[in-house]
Amino acid sequence: MNIQEYIESGILEQYALGELDDAQRAQVERMATEHPEVQAELEDVQRALNAYGEAHALTPPPGMKERVLANWQAAIQSEPGQAPAAPATEPVVRQLTPPRSEPAAAEIAPSRVSWSMAAAVALLLLSAAANLVFYNKWKQAENDLAVAQNQQASLASTMQAVNKNLTYRNQELAVLRSEQFKTVALLGTPAAPDARARVLYNPTTKAVYLDVRKLPAPPSGKQYQLWALDQGKPVDAGTLAAATVAGDSLQQMKDIASAQAFAMTVENEGGSPTPTLSTMTVLGKM
Amino acid sequence: MTLFYEKYSAALYGVIFRIVKKEEVAEDVLQESLVKIWHSFQSYDASKGRLFTWVLNISRNLAIDKIRSRQYRVNSRTQPIEESAALRQAAEPSFRPEHIGLQEMTRQLNPEQKQIIDLLYFGGFTQSEVAEELNLPLGTVKTRARAAIKVLAKLIR
Repeated sequence: MNIQEYIESGILEQYALGELDDAQRAQVERMATEHPEVQAELEDVQRALNAYGEAHALTPPPGMKERVLANWQAAIQSEPGQAPAAPATEPVVRQLTPPRSEPAAAEIAPSRVSWSMAAAVALLLLSAAANLVFYNKWKQAENDLAVAQNQQASLASTMQAVNKNLTYRNQELAVLRSEQFKTVALLGTPAAPDARARVLYNPTTKAVYLDVRKLPAPPSGKQYQLWALDQGKPVDAGTLAAATVAGDSLQQMKDIASAQAFAMTVENEGGSPTPTLSTMTVLGKM
Repeated sequence: MTLFYEKYSAALYGVIFRIVKKEEVAEDVLQESLVKIWHSFQSYDASKGRLFTWVLNISRNLAIDKIRSRQYRVNSRTQPIEESAALRQAAEPSFRPEHIGLQEMTRQLNPEQKQIIDLLYFGGFTQSEVAEELNLPLGTVKTRARAAIKVLAKLIR
């Protein structure tokens, strides 16, 4: 029998349709390996029948998939011995159809996507929260800095005031300790018997300082005014500041060329060119 | 196996259903096929043919075993051919896109060829049984079967 006759005998169709017994099948397979024409023809027949079968494809009824796969799994688990124990080929089987990981694999893609979505959202929220925290901290720090700068400024101005004060006190101290100054004690007149004050007078520099020990507060709108009496004539030596009246510090008065006595009167605010003798409060002679 | 099911179930179920003609039986056979495919996967030899051929043959053989083991065989033999053909016709659902291929194939095959290929492929008949059934010489059956398969082969080329 030549190859063409063999092909036309219909045995390949029988083979493909599963009609042959084992011996006949083995013979066909041997022919197919030996003769490429037989092999090609057999493949054509099989492809044609596959296509015919495939053309009859039917979508299985709903719910069947779950039942069939569940039963299939139960079946292969209850009879594991039925699979020929061939260690060499076992991994191949596992690789193709791992019963449990397969459904998981089908869901990996969507779950991976949703996982990365969740991760992205979580990171975004985390970053937003961190931003809020850092923003608050930054604001706090800015506030703290402003407060510190204010404090520093006020400290500096306090320092300046203190320095100024110190300079002033040092001058006062210098006046008080200086031997060039003559002290003139002014005592209260009958109008104000408790009133006490001192005038420090430097005849060389003509400087006059007033140191109030005790004076009644002047009526409102009135001011104390110091007078130097030179040859019986009163000379204006300036009005007293409120701090001086309260006895806080020395006050430098107008320079006086020469004087034999000093006196204070109560005058209208701003002072007056001539003393109102009736209001004389203290008087002292050198 | 889920992926396998999704890829092959429609094709396998279609063929099985055409052979056994009952939904519950087809489901049983499909499931048995999966178990058998699982257990005998070591014996699959890629050099002897495509995986689909092998898988389809397992399902088809199981389905044919089924109709032979039960009274199917007897019934269908005593049935007039027209009736069994009508039964097959009834089993087909209304138009589906996947059946365009089938319509085209059916149009290309002449009725005699279709009858023979259906008996061989879905009826579980051997060629000599078909000859006996149709009162035809075996040679005629072989010729028609070959011709039918040639037509199909030409269609898919």
